[in-house]
Amino acid sequence: MAELKHGFRIDEAKCRGRMDCMRTCPTRAIRVKNGKARLIPELCIDCGSCLTVCPSGAISATTLSFAELDRFKFKVAVASPALFAQFGMNDTPMSVGRALIDIGFDAVWEYSVDIELIDRAIAAFVKTWPGPFPLISNSCPVVVRLIQVAYPTMIEHLIPIEAPREIAGRELKRRYSQELGITPEKIGAIYITPCQAKTISILQPAEEEKSYLDGAVGISQIYNDILTKLRAAGKPEGNGSKKFSFAGELFHWGAPEGEFPNLSREHYLPLTGLTDIIKVFNDIEKGKLRNIEFLECHACQGGCVGGNLTVENIYVARSKNLRLAANRPKSVAAFEEEVRRRFAIEDFALRRTPKPRKIEGESVDLRERVLRKKRADDLHKALPRLNCGLCGAPTCKSHAEDVAAGRAGIADCVFLSPERIVELRSLYIGRRETG
Amino acid sequence: MELLRESYEIQGRNFDKAGEVSGEIKVVLKDLGIEAAHLRRLVIVAFEAEMNVVMYARKGVMTLIVTDDDICLETTDEGPGIPDIELALQEGYSTASDEMREMGFGFGMGLPNMKKNSDEFRVESEVGKGTSVFTKIRLPADG
Repeated sequence: MAELKHGFRIDEAKCRGRMDCMRTCPTRAIRVKNGKARLIPELCIDCGSCLTVCPSGAISATTLSFAELDRFKFKVAVASPALFAQFGMNDTPMSVGRALIDIGFDAVWEYSVDIELIDRAIAAFVKTWPGPFPLISNSCPVVVRLIQVAYPTMIEHLIPIEAPREIAGRELKRRYSQELGITPEKIGAIYITPCQAKTISILQPAEEEKSYLDGAVGISQIYNDILTKLRAAGKPEGNGSKKFSFAGELFHWGAPEGEFPNLSREHYLPLTGLTDIIKVFNDIEKGKLRNIEFLECHACQGGCVGGNLTVENIYVARSKNLRLAANRPKSVAAFEEEVRRRFAIEDFALRRTPKPRKIEGESVDLRERVLRKKRADDLHKALPRLNCGLCGAPTCKSHAEDVAAGRAGIADCVFLSPERIVELRSLYIGRRETG
Repeated sequence: MELLRESYEIQGRNFDKAGEVSGEIKVVLKDLGIEAAHLRRLVIVAFEAEMNVVMYARKGVMTLIVTDDDICLETTDEGPGIPDIELALQEGYSTASDEMREMGFGFGMGLPNMKKNSDEFRVESEVGKGTSVFTKIRLPADG
Protein backbone atom coordinates (compact mmCIF):
# COMPACT_ATOMS: atom_id res chain seq x y z
CA MET A 1 0.00 0.00 0.00
CA ALA A 2 1.17 3.50 -0.77
CA GLU A 3 2.17 5.75 2.10
CA LEU A 4 -0.92 6.93 3.96
CA LYS A 5 -1.72 10.55 3.51
CA HIS A 6 -3.73 12.59 5.94
CA GLY A 7 -5.92 15.64 5.66
CA PHE A 8 -3.84 17.80 7.96
CA ARG A 9 -0.24 18.40 8.97
CA ILE A 10 1.45 19.11 12.26
CA ASP A 11 3.81 22.06 12.08
CA GLU A 12 6.67 20.97 14.27
CA ALA A 13 8.00 24.50 14.77
CA LYS A 14 4.65 25.68 16.12
CA CYS A 15 3.92 22.57 18.18
CA ARG A 16 4.47 23.18 21.88
CA GLY A 17 3.70 19.65 22.92
CA ARG A 18 0.64 20.56 24.96
CA MET A 19 -0.91 17.11 24.42
CA ASP A 20 -4.50 18.25 23.86
CA CYS A 21 -4.44 16.50 20.49
CA MET A 22 -3.11 13.29 22.02
CA ARG A 23 -5.78 13.25 24.70
CA THR A 24 -8.65 13.90 22.33
CA CYS A 25 -7.69 11.50 19.55
CA PRO A 26 -10.38 8.77 19.43
CA THR A 27 -8.05 6.15 17.92
CA ARG A 28 -5.01 7.01 20.09
CA ALA A 29 -2.97 7.84 17.04
CA ILE A 30 -0.87 10.63 18.53
CA ARG A 31 2.21 10.52 20.74
CA VAL A 32 4.04 13.51 22.18
CA LYS A 33 7.73 12.79 22.61
CA ASN A 34 10.40 15.42 23.33
CA GLY A 35 7.72 18.07 23.43
CA LYS A 36 6.50 17.43 19.88
CA ALA A 37 3.37 15.70 18.66
CA ARG A 38 3.63 13.06 16.00
CA LEU A 39 1.14 10.88 14.27
CA ILE A 40 0.93 7.11 13.89
CA PRO A 41 -0.40 7.32 10.35
CA GLU A 42 -2.04 3.90 10.15
CA LEU A 43 -4.22 4.61 13.21
CA CYS A 44 -5.37 8.06 12.11
CA ILE A 45 -8.91 8.21 10.72
CA ASP A 46 -8.82 11.89 9.76
CA CYS A 47 -11.57 12.94 12.12
CA GLY A 48 -9.85 16.28 12.71
CA SER A 49 -10.45 16.34 16.47
CA CYS A 50 -6.79 17.22 17.00
CA LEU A 51 -7.02 20.15 14.64
CA THR A 52 -9.90 21.62 16.59
CA VAL A 53 -8.28 21.38 20.03
CA CYS A 54 -4.68 22.38 19.29
CA PRO A 55 -3.95 25.46 21.44
CA SER A 56 -0.86 26.40 19.42
CA GLY A 57 -2.42 26.43 15.97
CA ALA A 58 0.14 23.87 14.88
CA ILE A 59 -2.28 21.54 13.12
CA SER A 60 -3.76 22.70 9.87
CA ALA A 61 -5.84 21.17 7.13
CA THR A 62 -4.14 20.35 3.85
CA THR A 63 -6.68 21.94 1.57
CA LEU A 64 -5.77 23.52 -1.75
CA SER A 65 -4.82 27.15 -1.81
CA PHE A 66 -6.76 29.28 -4.20
CA ALA A 67 -3.64 30.00 -6.23
CA GLU A 68 -3.13 26.28 -6.84
CA LEU A 69 -6.43 26.18 -8.69
CA ASP A 70 -5.07 28.30 -11.47
CA ARG A 71 -3.51 25.30 -13.14
CA PHE A 72 -7.00 24.45 -14.38
CA LYS A 73 -8.41 26.11 -17.43
CA PHE A 74 -11.98 25.81 -16.17
CA LYS A 75 -12.77 25.58 -12.47
CA VAL A 76 -16.04 24.11 -11.27
CA ALA A 77 -17.16 24.36 -7.64
CA VAL A 78 -19.04 21.45 -6.11
CA ALA A 79 -20.31 23.06 -2.93
CA SER A 80 -21.19 21.01 0.12
CA PRO A 81 -24.74 21.98 1.17
CA ALA A 82 -23.16 23.02 4.48
CA LEU A 83 -21.78 26.07 2.68
CA PHE A 84 -25.23 27.57 2.21
CA ALA A 85 -25.97 27.44 5.91
CA GLN A 86 -22.98 29.64 6.79
CA PHE A 87 -24.33 33.03 5.87
CA GLY A 88 -27.20 35.32 6.80
CA MET A 89 -30.82 34.23 6.87
CA ASN A 90 -31.46 36.29 3.76
CA ASP A 91 -28.52 35.02 1.75
CA THR A 92 -30.01 32.53 -0.67
CA PRO A 93 -28.10 29.62 -2.14
CA MET A 94 -28.40 31.45 -5.44
CA SER A 95 -26.56 34.51 -4.13
CA VAL A 96 -23.89 32.36 -2.47
CA GLY A 97 -23.49 30.54 -5.78
CA ARG A 98 -23.00 33.85 -7.57
CA ALA A 99 -20.41 34.86 -5.01
CA LEU A 100 -18.48 31.65 -5.80
CA ILE A 101 -18.35 32.77 -9.42
CA ASP A 102 -17.28 36.24 -8.36
CA ILE A 103 -14.34 34.91 -6.37
CA GLY A 104 -13.02 33.03 -9.36
CA PHE A 105 -14.88 29.83 -10.15
CA ASP A 106 -16.05 29.42 -13.72
CA ALA A 107 -19.12 27.41 -12.81
CA VAL A 108 -21.03 26.11 -9.82
CA TRP A 109 -22.26 22.58 -10.18
CA GLU A 110 -25.89 21.62 -9.63
CA TYR A 111 -24.89 19.33 -6.80
CA SER A 112 -28.42 18.73 -5.58
CA VAL A 113 -28.96 16.46 -8.56
CA ASP A 114 -26.08 14.19 -7.57
CA ILE A 115 -27.30 14.07 -3.99
CA GLU A 116 -30.74 13.03 -5.16
CA LEU A 117 -29.26 10.42 -7.51
CA ILE A 118 -27.28 8.82 -4.68
CA ASP A 119 -30.35 8.90 -2.42
CA ARG A 120 -32.18 6.89 -5.02
CA ALA A 121 -29.26 4.57 -5.69
CA ILE A 122 -28.99 3.85 -1.96
CA ALA A 123 -32.71 3.21 -1.59
CA ALA A 124 -32.62 0.80 -4.55
CA PHE A 125 -29.52 -0.95 -3.23
CA VAL A 126 -30.92 -1.43 0.28
CA LYS A 127 -33.96 -3.20 -1.17
CA THR A 128 -31.95 -5.87 -2.94
CA TRP A 129 -29.14 -6.33 -0.39
CA PRO A 130 -29.26 -9.80 1.21
CA GLY A 131 -27.22 -8.76 4.26
CA PRO A 132 -25.38 -8.24 6.49
CA PHE A 133 -27.42 -5.38 7.88
CA PRO A 134 -27.35 -2.54 8.63
CA LEU A 135 -25.73 -1.02 5.59
CA ILE A 136 -23.67 2.03 6.53
CA SER A 137 -23.33 5.23 4.53
CA ASN A 138 -19.86 5.99 3.20
CA SER A 139 -20.17 9.65 2.38
CA CYS A 140 -18.33 10.62 5.58
CA PRO A 141 -14.67 9.61 5.02
CA VAL A 142 -14.06 9.42 8.78
CA VAL A 143 -16.70 6.73 9.17
CA VAL A 144 -15.12 4.68 6.38
CA ARG A 145 -11.68 5.01 7.98
CA LEU A 146 -13.01 4.24 11.45
CA ILE A 147 -14.35 0.95 10.11
CA GLN A 148 -11.10 0.19 8.28
CA VAL A 149 -9.07 0.74 11.43
CA ALA A 150 -11.28 -0.25 14.37
CA TYR A 151 -14.16 -2.33 12.96
CA PRO A 152 -12.60 -4.50 10.27
CA THR A 153 -15.37 -7.08 10.70
CA MET A 154 -17.91 -4.52 9.53
CA ILE A 155 -16.26 -3.63 6.24
CA GLU A 156 -19.02 -5.40 4.31
CA HIS A 157 -21.60 -3.15 5.91
CA LEU A 158 -20.27 -0.12 4.05
CA ILE A 159 -22.63 0.56 1.19
CA PRO A 160 -20.79 0.03 -2.12
CA ILE A 161 -22.23 3.16 -3.74
CA GLU A 162 -20.16 6.18 -4.76
CA ALA A 163 -20.43 9.34 -2.65
CA PRO A 164 -22.46 12.08 -4.35
CA ARG A 165 -19.43 14.37 -4.63
CA GLU A 166 -17.60 11.70 -6.63
CA ILE A 167 -20.30 11.24 -9.22
CA ALA A 168 -20.59 15.03 -9.40
CA GLY A 169 -16.90 15.19 -10.32
CA ARG A 170 -17.29 12.46 -12.91
CA GLU A 171 -20.31 14.01 -14.57
CA LEU A 172 -19.08 17.60 -14.57
CA LYS A 173 -15.82 16.60 -16.23
CA ARG A 174 -17.71 14.72 -18.87
CA ARG A 175 -20.18 17.50 -19.51
CA TYR A 176 -17.81 20.46 -19.58
CA SER A 177 -15.11 18.74 -21.57
CA GLN A 178 -17.76 18.02 -24.18
CA GLU A 179 -19.31 21.47 -24.08
CA LEU A 180 -16.05 23.39 -24.08
CA GLY A 181 -14.07 21.01 -26.25
CA ILE A 182 -11.19 20.69 -23.77
CA THR A 183 -9.70 17.59 -22.15
CA PRO A 184 -11.07 16.54 -18.74
CA GLU A 185 -7.65 17.19 -17.14
CA LYS A 186 -8.01 20.90 -17.87
CA ILE A 187 -11.24 21.01 -15.91
CA GLY A 188 -10.79 21.43 -12.18
CA ALA A 189 -13.52 19.74 -10.13
CA ILE A 190 -13.16 21.44 -6.75
CA TYR A 191 -15.15 20.42 -3.71
CA ILE A 192 -16.02 23.18 -1.24
CA THR A 193 -15.56 21.19 1.92
CA PRO A 194 -16.81 21.50 5.50
CA CYS A 195 -13.98 19.30 6.85
CA GLN A 196 -10.43 18.20 6.13
CA ALA A 197 -11.54 14.57 5.95
CA LYS A 198 -13.13 15.04 2.55
CA THR A 199 -9.89 16.58 1.33
CA ILE A 200 -8.08 13.39 2.14
CA SER A 201 -10.83 11.29 0.60
CA ILE A 202 -10.06 13.14 -2.64
CA LEU A 203 -6.28 12.95 -2.28
CA GLN A 204 -6.31 9.30 -1.28
CA PRO A 205 -9.69 7.54 -1.37
CA ALA A 206 -10.12 4.73 1.16
CA GLU A 207 -10.86 2.28 -1.60
CA GLU A 208 -7.50 3.00 -3.26
CA GLU A 209 -9.00 4.34 -6.46
CA LYS A 210 -8.44 7.75 -8.00
CA SER A 211 -10.98 10.40 -7.03
CA TYR A 212 -13.01 12.08 -9.77
CA LEU A 213 -12.44 15.36 -7.96
CA ASP A 214 -9.22 17.36 -8.17
CA GLY A 215 -9.09 18.85 -4.72
CA ALA A 216 -10.95 20.66 -2.02
CA VAL A 217 -11.12 24.17 -0.65
CA GLY A 218 -12.26 24.60 2.94
CA ILE A 219 -15.38 26.65 3.63
CA SER A 220 -13.49 28.69 6.22
CA GLN A 221 -10.81 29.45 3.62
CA ILE A 222 -13.20 31.30 1.33
CA TYR A 223 -15.78 32.43 3.88
CA ASN A 224 -14.52 36.00 4.11
CA ASP A 225 -14.23 36.40 0.35
CA ILE A 226 -17.76 35.15 -0.17
CA LEU A 227 -19.10 37.34 2.60
CA THR A 228 -17.43 40.38 1.06
CA LYS A 229 -19.04 39.65 -2.29
CA LEU A 230 -22.42 39.03 -0.67
CA ARG A 231 -22.24 42.33 1.18
CA ALA A 232 -20.81 44.35 -1.69
CA ALA A 233 -23.26 47.08 -2.59
CA GLY A 234 -25.15 46.75 -5.81
CA LYS A 235 -25.67 43.74 -7.94
CA PRO A 236 -23.31 40.80 -7.94
CA GLU A 237 -20.88 40.72 -10.82
CA GLY A 238 -22.26 37.31 -11.88
CA ASN A 239 -21.13 37.09 -15.44
CA GLY A 240 -23.84 36.05 -17.87
CA SER A 241 -21.60 33.88 -20.00
CA LYS A 242 -20.72 31.70 -17.04
CA LYS A 243 -22.84 28.66 -16.65
CA PHE A 244 -24.48 27.83 -13.42
CA SER A 245 -27.91 27.26 -12.10
CA PHE A 246 -29.50 25.69 -9.10
CA ALA A 247 -32.39 23.35 -8.94
CA GLY A 248 -34.71 22.79 -6.01
CA GLU A 249 -33.67 20.30 -3.40
CA LEU A 250 -30.29 21.44 -2.29
CA PHE A 251 -30.14 20.79 1.36
CA HIS A 252 -30.81 17.36 2.56
CA TRP A 253 -27.32 15.94 2.53
CA GLY A 254 -25.66 18.41 4.86
CA ALA A 255 -28.12 17.97 7.68
CA PRO A 256 -28.20 14.99 10.01
CA GLU A 257 -31.88 14.57 9.29
CA GLY A 258 -30.91 13.42 5.80
CA GLU A 259 -34.02 12.48 3.95
CA PHE A 260 -34.21 9.10 2.38
CA PRO A 261 -37.81 9.26 1.24
CA ASN A 262 -37.69 5.77 -0.19
CA LEU A 263 -36.50 4.06 2.98
CA SER A 264 -39.00 3.25 5.69
CA ARG A 265 -38.45 5.44 8.72
CA GLU A 266 -38.26 2.65 11.26
CA HIS A 267 -35.51 0.89 9.34
CA TYR A 268 -33.34 3.90 8.82
CA LEU A 269 -31.20 5.53 11.48
CA PRO A 270 -29.27 8.79 11.22
CA LEU A 271 -26.28 9.11 13.58
CA THR A 272 -23.88 11.95 14.18
CA GLY A 273 -20.84 12.34 16.40
CA LEU A 274 -18.00 9.82 16.71
CA THR A 275 -18.83 8.88 20.30
CA ASP A 276 -22.37 7.83 19.41
CA ILE A 277 -21.25 6.14 16.24
CA ILE A 278 -18.73 4.05 18.18
CA LYS A 279 -21.45 2.99 20.66
CA VAL A 280 -23.74 1.85 17.88
CA PHE A 281 -20.92 0.13 15.97
CA ASN A 282 -20.07 -1.87 19.09
CA ASP A 283 -23.65 -3.10 19.17
CA ILE A 284 -23.64 -3.97 15.48
CA GLU A 285 -20.47 -5.97 15.88
CA LYS A 286 -22.17 -8.03 18.55
CA GLY A 287 -25.07 -8.77 16.25
CA LYS A 288 -27.57 -6.39 17.79
CA LEU A 289 -29.53 -3.83 15.73
CA ARG A 290 -31.00 -6.49 13.51
CA ASN A 291 -33.96 -4.42 12.38
CA ILE A 292 -32.08 -1.45 11.01
CA GLU A 293 -31.43 -1.49 7.26
CA PHE A 294 -29.44 1.66 6.79
CA LEU A 295 -27.32 3.84 9.06
CA GLU A 296 -26.42 7.31 7.90
CA CYS A 297 -23.31 8.20 9.89
CA HIS A 298 -21.53 11.53 10.11
CA ALA A 299 -18.51 11.80 12.39
CA CYS A 300 -19.10 15.46 13.20
CA GLN A 301 -21.65 16.24 15.87
CA GLY A 302 -24.63 17.66 14.04
CA GLY A 303 -23.52 16.35 10.64
CA CYS A 304 -21.53 18.17 7.97
CA VAL A 305 -22.70 21.60 9.12
CA GLY A 306 -20.64 20.82 12.23
CA GLY A 307 -17.48 20.15 10.20
CA ASN A 308 -14.24 21.68 11.44
CA LEU A 309 -13.79 23.89 8.38
CA THR A 310 -17.17 25.54 8.79
CA VAL A 311 -17.53 28.95 10.37
CA GLU A 312 -21.03 29.27 11.77
CA ASN A 313 -21.83 27.35 14.95
CA ILE A 314 -23.84 24.25 14.21
CA TYR A 315 -27.04 25.32 15.93
CA VAL A 316 -27.31 28.52 13.96
CA ALA A 317 -26.28 26.67 10.82
CA ARG A 318 -28.94 24.02 11.38
CA SER A 319 -31.59 26.61 11.97
CA LYS A 320 -30.58 28.23 8.66
CA ASN A 321 -30.73 24.84 7.02
CA LEU A 322 -34.27 24.32 8.25
CA ARG A 323 -35.26 27.72 6.99
CA LEU A 324 -33.66 27.10 3.63
CA ALA A 325 -35.41 23.74 3.41
CA ALA A 326 -38.75 25.30 4.28
CA ASN A 327 -38.33 27.96 1.62
CA ARG A 328 -36.98 25.77 -1.10
CA PRO A 329 -39.06 25.64 -4.23
CA LYS A 330 -41.26 22.64 -4.80
CA SER A 331 -39.33 20.19 -6.86
CA VAL A 332 -39.05 21.68 -10.30
CA ALA A 333 -39.74 19.71 -13.44
CA ALA A 334 -36.29 20.38 -14.86
CA PHE A 335 -34.68 18.98 -11.72
CA GLU A 336 -36.85 15.86 -11.81
CA GLU A 337 -36.11 15.42 -15.48
CA GLU A 338 -32.35 15.72 -15.00
CA VAL A 339 -32.43 13.22 -12.14
CA ARG A 340 -34.44 10.78 -14.24
CA ARG A 341 -32.18 11.19 -17.25
CA ARG A 342 -28.97 10.61 -15.33
CA PHE A 343 -30.35 7.83 -13.13
CA ALA A 344 -31.14 5.82 -16.23
CA ILE A 345 -27.66 6.01 -17.74
CA GLU A 346 -25.14 6.31 -14.93
CA ASP A 347 -23.55 3.60 -12.84
CA PHE A 348 -23.33 4.48 -9.13
CA ALA A 349 -21.58 1.35 -7.89
CA LEU A 350 -18.36 1.98 -5.98
CA ARG A 351 -15.48 1.07 -8.28
CA ARG A 352 -13.58 -0.80 -5.61
CA THR A 353 -14.58 -1.67 -2.07
CA PRO A 354 -12.39 -0.54 0.83
CA LYS A 355 -10.37 -3.12 2.77
CA PRO A 356 -9.46 -3.21 6.47
CA ARG A 357 -6.32 -1.19 7.04
CA LYS A 358 -3.12 -3.03 7.88
CA ILE A 359 -2.00 -1.97 11.31
CA GLU A 360 1.64 -1.99 12.24
CA GLY A 361 2.55 -5.12 14.14
CA GLU A 362 0.45 -7.36 11.97
CA SER A 363 3.51 -8.20 9.96
CA VAL A 364 4.88 -10.27 12.84
CA ASP A 365 3.41 -13.72 13.44
CA LEU A 366 0.65 -14.64 15.86
CA ARG A 367 3.12 -16.06 18.37
CA GLU A 368 5.03 -12.78 18.55
CA ARG A 369 1.80 -10.80 18.78
CA VAL A 370 0.63 -12.91 21.73
CA LEU A 371 4.00 -12.42 23.42
CA ARG A 372 3.70 -8.67 22.94
CA LYS A 373 0.21 -8.67 24.35
CA LYS A 374 1.35 -10.58 27.45
CA ARG A 375 4.31 -8.27 27.85
CA ALA A 376 2.02 -5.25 27.50
CA ASP A 377 -0.42 -6.68 30.07
CA ASP A 378 2.41 -7.19 32.56
CA LEU A 379 3.84 -3.73 31.93
CA HIS A 380 0.40 -2.20 32.30
CA LYS A 381 0.07 -3.68 35.77
CA ALA A 382 3.27 -1.89 36.82
CA LEU A 383 2.02 1.49 35.58
CA PRO A 384 -0.09 3.84 37.75
CA ARG A 385 -3.13 3.64 35.42
CA LEU A 386 -3.80 7.33 35.88
CA ASN A 387 -3.54 8.09 32.17
CA CYS A 388 -1.68 11.31 32.95
CA GLY A 389 -0.11 11.29 29.51
CA LEU A 390 3.24 12.62 30.69
CA CYS A 391 5.04 9.69 29.09
CA GLY A 392 3.77 10.97 25.77
CA ALA A 393 1.17 8.26 25.24
CA PRO A 394 -2.54 8.95 25.82
CA THR A 395 -3.13 6.13 28.29
CA CYS A 396 -1.06 3.79 30.45
CA LYS A 397 -2.34 0.98 28.26
CA SER A 398 -1.03 2.67 25.09
CA HIS A 399 2.31 3.23 26.79
CA ALA A 400 2.51 -0.43 27.80
CA GLU A 401 1.71 -1.46 24.22
CA ASP A 402 4.28 0.95 22.80
CA VAL A 403 6.94 -0.44 25.12
CA ALA A 404 5.99 -4.05 24.35
CA ALA A 405 6.29 -3.33 20.65
CA GLY A 406 9.64 -1.60 21.12
CA ARG A 407 8.36 1.84 20.17
CA ALA A 408 9.03 3.50 23.54
CA GLY A 409 11.01 3.00 26.72
CA ILE A 410 9.18 2.14 29.95
CA ALA A 411 11.24 4.87 31.71
CA ASP A 412 9.20 7.54 29.95
CA CYS A 413 6.70 7.04 32.80
CA VAL A 414 7.25 9.70 35.48
CA PHE A 415 6.21 7.25 38.18
CA LEU A 416 8.92 4.79 37.23
CA SER A 417 11.70 7.29 36.65
CA PRO A 418 11.70 10.60 38.50
CA GLU A 419 14.37 11.94 36.10
CA ARG A 420 11.60 12.15 33.56
CA ILE A 421 10.03 14.96 35.61
CA VAL A 422 13.29 16.90 35.48
CA GLU A 423 13.36 16.44 31.73
CA LEU A 424 9.77 17.56 31.35
CA ARG A 425 10.35 20.54 33.61
CA SER A 426 13.18 21.84 31.47
CA LEU A 427 11.20 21.08 28.33
CA TYR A 428 7.96 22.77 29.34
CA ILE A 429 8.65 25.25 32.12
CA GLY A 430 12.07 26.19 30.79
CA ARG A 431 10.57 26.83 27.43
CA ARG A 432 7.89 29.07 28.84
CA GLU A 433 10.53 31.29 30.49
CA THR A 434 12.36 31.77 27.26
CA GLY A 435 9.26 32.76 25.44
CA MET B 1 0.91 -25.07 20.90
CA GLU B 2 -1.20 -23.07 23.29
CA LEU B 3 -0.18 -19.42 23.22
CA LEU B 4 -2.80 -17.73 25.32
CA ARG B 5 -5.57 -18.75 27.71
CA GLU B 6 -7.82 -16.26 29.41
CA SER B 7 -11.06 -16.72 31.31
CA TYR B 8 -13.89 -14.27 31.74
CA GLU B 9 -16.77 -14.48 34.19
CA ILE B 10 -20.30 -13.94 32.96
CA GLN B 11 -23.11 -12.94 35.31
CA GLY B 12 -26.45 -14.59 34.62
CA ARG B 13 -29.64 -12.53 34.30
CA ASN B 14 -27.72 -9.30 34.03
CA PHE B 15 -28.95 -7.87 30.76
CA ASP B 16 -27.41 -4.54 31.54
CA LYS B 17 -23.90 -5.95 31.25
CA ALA B 18 -24.75 -8.40 28.48
CA GLY B 19 -22.20 -8.26 25.68
CA GLU B 20 -19.33 -6.94 27.76
CA VAL B 21 -17.35 -10.16 27.81
CA SER B 22 -17.66 -10.71 24.08
CA GLY B 23 -16.72 -7.05 23.62
CA GLU B 24 -13.58 -7.55 25.67
CA ILE B 25 -12.67 -10.70 23.78
CA LYS B 26 -13.16 -8.86 20.51
CA VAL B 27 -10.69 -6.17 21.56
CA VAL B 28 -8.10 -8.79 22.55
CA LEU B 29 -8.47 -10.65 19.26
CA LYS B 30 -8.40 -7.48 17.20
CA ASP B 31 -5.23 -6.36 18.98
CA LEU B 32 -3.75 -9.74 18.14
CA GLY B 33 -4.37 -8.88 14.50
CA ILE B 34 -6.81 -11.71 13.80
CA GLU B 35 -7.96 -11.21 10.23
CA ALA B 36 -11.43 -9.70 9.69
CA ALA B 37 -13.32 -12.73 8.36
CA HIS B 38 -12.23 -14.92 11.29
CA LEU B 39 -12.71 -12.12 13.77
CA ARG B 40 -16.30 -11.64 12.64
CA ARG B 41 -17.12 -15.30 13.22
CA LEU B 42 -15.41 -15.27 16.62
CA VAL B 43 -17.33 -12.20 17.73
CA ILE B 44 -20.66 -13.78 16.76
CA VAL B 45 -19.82 -17.01 18.58
CA ALA B 46 -18.67 -15.16 21.69
CA PHE B 47 -21.75 -12.95 21.77
CA GLU B 48 -24.22 -15.80 21.35
CA ALA B 49 -22.44 -17.87 23.99
CA GLU B 50 -22.49 -14.96 26.39
CA MET B 51 -26.18 -14.28 25.75
CA ASN B 52 -27.09 -17.90 26.45
CA VAL B 53 -25.44 -17.65 29.85
CA VAL B 54 -27.05 -14.28 30.58
CA MET B 55 -30.51 -15.53 29.59
CA TYR B 56 -30.58 -18.91 31.28
CA ALA B 57 -27.83 -19.45 33.81
CA ARG B 58 -26.84 -18.13 37.23
CA LYS B 59 -23.31 -17.60 36.08
CA GLY B 60 -20.74 -18.87 33.66
CA VAL B 61 -17.17 -18.66 32.48
CA MET B 62 -15.92 -18.11 28.97
CA THR B 63 -12.38 -19.18 28.21
CA LEU B 64 -10.46 -17.95 25.20
CA ILE B 65 -7.67 -20.22 24.03
CA VAL B 66 -5.35 -19.11 21.25
CA THR B 67 -3.01 -21.65 19.68
CA ASP B 68 -0.79 -21.53 16.60
CA ASP B 69 -3.53 -23.01 14.46
CA ASP B 70 -6.87 -22.07 15.94
CA ILE B 71 -8.89 -20.11 18.44
CA CYS B 72 -11.23 -21.86 20.87
CA LEU B 73 -13.99 -20.41 22.95
CA GLU B 74 -15.27 -22.61 25.76
CA THR B 75 -18.28 -21.52 27.73
CA THR B 76 -19.37 -23.37 30.85
CA ASP B 77 -22.34 -22.30 32.91
CA GLU B 78 -24.24 -23.20 36.05
CA GLY B 79 -27.73 -23.27 34.66
CA PRO B 80 -30.76 -25.42 34.00
CA GLY B 81 -29.04 -27.54 31.35
CA ILE B 82 -30.50 -28.58 28.00
CA PRO B 83 -32.73 -31.67 28.05
CA ASP B 84 -32.67 -32.25 24.28
CA ILE B 85 -29.57 -30.89 22.57
CA GLU B 86 -30.68 -32.04 19.09
CA LEU B 87 -33.81 -29.97 19.45
CA ALA B 88 -31.96 -26.96 20.83
CA LEU B 89 -29.74 -26.98 17.74
CA GLN B 90 -32.69 -26.51 15.38
CA GLU B 91 -33.02 -23.00 14.02
CA GLY B 92 -35.90 -21.15 15.56
CA TYR B 93 -36.29 -23.48 18.53
CA SER B 94 -36.34 -21.32 21.62
CA THR B 95 -37.34 -21.55 25.24
CA ALA B 96 -36.91 -17.82 25.78
CA SER B 97 -39.57 -16.04 27.80
CA ASP B 98 -41.68 -13.23 26.39
CA GLU B 99 -39.64 -10.86 28.50
CA MET B 100 -36.42 -11.97 26.79
CA ARG B 101 -37.99 -11.69 23.36
CA GLU B 102 -39.14 -8.20 24.12
CA MET B 103 -35.54 -7.30 24.76
CA GLY B 104 -34.66 -8.62 21.34
CA PHE B 105 -33.20 -11.96 22.39
CA GLY B 106 -34.27 -15.54 22.21
CA PHE B 107 -35.01 -16.02 18.52
CA GLY B 108 -33.80 -19.57 18.70
CA MET B 109 -30.74 -18.72 16.63
CA GLY B 110 -28.11 -18.77 19.34
CA LEU B 111 -26.74 -22.30 19.21
CA PRO B 112 -27.39 -22.76 15.45
CA ASN B 113 -25.62 -19.47 14.80
CA MET B 114 -22.64 -20.56 16.88
CA LYS B 115 -22.51 -23.86 15.07
CA LYS B 116 -22.69 -22.17 11.69
CA ASN B 117 -19.83 -19.83 12.53
CA SER B 118 -17.39 -22.32 13.99
CA ASP B 119 -15.27 -25.08 12.47
CA GLU B 120 -15.75 -27.39 15.41
CA PHE B 121 -18.73 -27.28 17.73
CA ARG B 122 -19.76 -29.45 20.66
CA VAL B 123 -22.38 -29.08 23.40
CA GLU B 124 -22.40 -31.01 26.66
CA SER B 125 -25.17 -30.58 29.16
CA GLU B 126 -26.55 -32.05 32.31
CA VAL B 127 -30.08 -31.08 33.32
CA GLY B 128 -30.11 -29.22 36.61
CA LYS B 129 -26.35 -28.64 36.60
CA GLY B 130 -25.27 -26.70 33.55
CA THR B 131 -24.08 -26.58 29.97
CA SER B 132 -20.71 -26.40 28.27
CA VAL B 133 -20.23 -25.25 24.69
CA PHE B 134 -16.92 -25.81 22.91
CA THR B 135 -16.21 -23.98 19.68
CA LYS B 136 -13.12 -23.83 17.52
CA ILE B 137 -12.26 -21.58 14.61
CA ARG B 138 -9.24 -22.54 12.56
CA LEU B 139 -6.75 -19.91 11.45
CA PRO B 140 -5.19 -19.87 7.99
CA ALA B 141 -1.85 -21.70 7.91
CA ASP B 142 0.23 -18.59 7.23
CA GLY B 143 -1.00 -16.99 10.43
